[in-house]
Amino acid sequence: MTSLECKKVSMKFGALAAVQMVSFSLNSGEILGMIGPNGAGKTTLFNCVIGVYRPTSGKIYVNGIDVTGMKPHKVCRIGLAKTSQIMEPFTGMTVFENVLVGALHGGRMKMGPASYKTEQVIELVGLNEYAYKLSGSIPVPVRRRLELARAIATGANILLLDENMAGLNPHEIDEALEILKKIRDSGKSLIVVEHIMRVVMGISDRIIVLNYGSKIAEGLPEEVVNNEAVIKAYLGEKLSSLKVA
Amino acid sequence: MNYRIDRIILILFLMFTGAVAFVPYLVQSEYQLRVVTVVVLWVGIAGCWNMMSGYTGYIDFGPVVYFGIGSYVVAIAMTKYSVPFFPSLFLSGCISAFVAFLVGIPTLRLRGAYFAIATFAFAEAMKQITLEFDRTFNVSFFQGSDGITLPISNYENSFFFYCILPVTFLVVFTHYFIEHSKFGYALKAIKEAESAAEISGVNTTANKLVAYVMSAFFLGLFGAIEAYWITYITPSDVFNVQKTVQMVIMTLLGGMGTFLGPVVGATFLTLISETLGAQFVEYYLIMIGAIIIVAILIMPSGIIGGLKIRKKLRFI
Amino acid sequence: MDTVLAQAIINGLLLGGVYAAYSAGFSLIFGVMGVVNLAHGELIMLGAFTSYWLFAYFNLDPYLSAPVAMGLLFLFGYVVQKYIINRVIGQPHIMSYILTFGLHLMVANIAIKMWTQDFRSITTSYSGANAAIWGLNIPYARLVTFIVALFVTWGLWFFLMRTETGRAIRATAQDKEVARLMGVDIRNIYAITFGLGAAITGLSGSVMSPFVIISPEMGLEYTIIAFCVVVLGGMGYMPGALVGGLVLGVAQSLAATYLNAGVSVAITFIILFVMLIIRPRGLLGKGSVA
Repeated sequence: MTSLECKKVSMKFGALAAVQMVSFSLNSGEILGMIGPNGAGKTTLFNCVIGVYRPTSGKIYVNGIDVTGMKPHKVCRIGLAKTSQIMEPFTGMTVFENVLVGALHGGRMKMGPASYKTEQVIELVGLNEYAYKLSGSIPVPVRRRLELARAIATGANILLLDENMAGLNPHEIDEALEILKKIRDSGKSLIVVEHIMRVVMGISDRIIVLNYGSKIAEGLPEEVVNNEAVIKAYLGEKLSSLKVA
Repeated sequence: MNYRIDRIILILFLMFTGAVAFVPYLVQSEYQLRVVTVVVLWVGIAGCWNMMSGYTGYIDFGPVVYFGIGSYVVAIAMTKYSVPFFPSLFLSGCISAFVAFLVGIPTLRLRGAYFAIATFAFAEAMKQITLEFDRTFNVSFFQGSDGITLPISNYENSFFFYCILPVTFLVVFTHYFIEHSKFGYALKAIKEAESAAEISGVNTTANKLVAYVMSAFFLGLFGAIEAYWITYITPSDVFNVQKTVQMVIMTLLGGMGTFLGPVVGATFLTLISETLGAQFVEYYLIMIGAIIIVAILIMPSGIIGGLKIRKKLRFI
Repeated sequence: MDTVLAQAIINGLLLGGVYAAYSAGFSLIFGVMGVVNLAHGELIMLGAFTSYWLFAYFNLDPYLSAPVAMGLLFLFGYVVQKYIINRVIGQPHIMSYILTFGLHLMVANIAIKMWTQDFRSITTSYSGANAAIWGLNIPYARLVTFIVALFVTWGLWFFLMRTETGRAIRATAQDKEVARLMGVDIRNIYAITFGLGAAITGLSGSVMSPFVIISPEMGLEYTIIAFCVVVLGGMGYMPGALVGGLVLGVAQSLAATYLNAGVSVAITFIILFVMLIIRPRGLLGKGSVA
């Protein structure tokens, strides 16, 4: 079943087309990798999908519902949450309260159930020891996990992770990958944007590649990595011999 | 553990309000009763500002407009249409809230300095309109700079004290509610990072609007009660930007976005102006200016805010 | 075109030029530091008083004392920014509003203490003299001030565009972190910016002194007009101050001619409110939006 579908989405800023006629779909329980050089339009596409921008043309469906032009909080309640590339925790609140906001408002829960849900999510992403610290005072890798936790707590069945692993060390990345697999196994679908190839190749069921705002390739990780256009646009000559295990 | 402290504070607060209710029987003079009433009034008014601006971080520089609307609604209802005081009072709150609803929809889209300036401009525009309306359209409704004299009441000062106390109590109790509710988390999330709040499912527009309208409703009530107490209002008095400034400074001194901030700040500043202000009239405003500057530089989170950070308390 | 209308427009333009000059400083300070300076009118008041006292004691013509006002206000602005306002930069914006409001209270009330609340004016040989052209009256003093005002606005623009310091200021306004990395001393640039804003504002106050009423309490009204001008022109966009000033000047003048002075104030605020809602980037659409 399709959880998210984009049909010919375009976004123009004046004369600049940041996203051009991009179509893709995400099946439930799937992890879709999205790659592309800087400025390829990934973040703009995400912002269209979650409702921060209204796309110039095209349609977006979340769980079968047309969400084109809807406000972000509505899209979130229909089932799509995003972690931001620029981390924005509510710095005056504790980690627990940050996640609680997601559960209360995104999940439309009452105080009691929301607290219970928050505890579960915090357990899931391994934030227990930080739960009662102010989110302004925790280190970057923990903030990344907090973003993830807040998105999960909204109860959305689709998560968009915009460079959620940037700045993590290899050990932390391994931990994060474990968490992502756990999340997927709990029945959610994910879109993962990353620059770290190991992450995208290792975890994605399918990959789409953007360049200059257009989709230039789509397929299994090994197909994409051997695709001529992709190698030219993004990976460069050196990686053409890369073998994916 | 913090939740327990929190309960204790609520109980103390209820007991304190109960004790304050006996003040009219304890004071030695009408002057003392007047001072206490003014303190309670300002705790409430500052609380109205804190409810909106303290929690959402949207700095409203024109809250006085709802105070003024409240005053004018009660004055016009009582003098022109002979409506008794309590229905007029209720009407004041409702009309203030309704105007806030209409104004809030477009202005709450603005951020930072733009919101502050827009609210300020709206308040000043309303003041000028009440001043000039009659002369421009050649009618007698707001009575311009002549002002309106309300029907003189036979009530004692204690009557007004008992009008103000419950409203102030409601305002402070609303703060307590904000601290512990879904609504409060929405406001705080908006203050910290509005776009993140939005993608986490917070309906930012609706929540801001509710806070704004609530604050306007209470301000309207206070404006109405004060108008009836003083019995004479002019646009320059009830829409005086100085009132806005007082609300902001009191809240800031006490601590923005805290439950007890306006209570502490308003009590402190009102008592200072009653004592110092009476003795050093000429230097009073210079001193207020200096207090503001020093307060911002050495304790930007205010008295309660600072305490909260140092003692790691959550809800005060 | 009938004479009354033409006269109203001319009065408006003359007024607007002055608005532009003292609002340019407000816009500069906001554009570079994000500080909404609520003590702006006090800078005008101090400039006007500088000219007043120099005129009263030494009989110095206000136009000649303008450079003195400029120098004094630069120092004042520099010191205030360096030792007071710099300490809240980077904190939430409200801190700067409240801080400058505290400054407004202190400066205005100390001035009242020193100089009393009396209304003062400077009466020169050319006060009240008009050039009459085609049946229209153009007061000499206002015309000269208008020209000086335009020159000042242009001078500020030139300074920002062509000098090393101006470039540093613009770089800081765009991205203070990058500017810091490029070796710009941010705190010093802030102090210079505020000093510069204060200097041209003080100069405007000084050249306005021959035809305005001078009193310690005059400031707040000018702060409000500066707000309005800057919003019309676009916050932080310097040439916008000129457009905003002229538009507001003409609008007020027309309202005052055909309606009354009170309504013209009401119109100022209504314009301000409506502009913020429908075009927060200003008439030209080049202002910054926070």
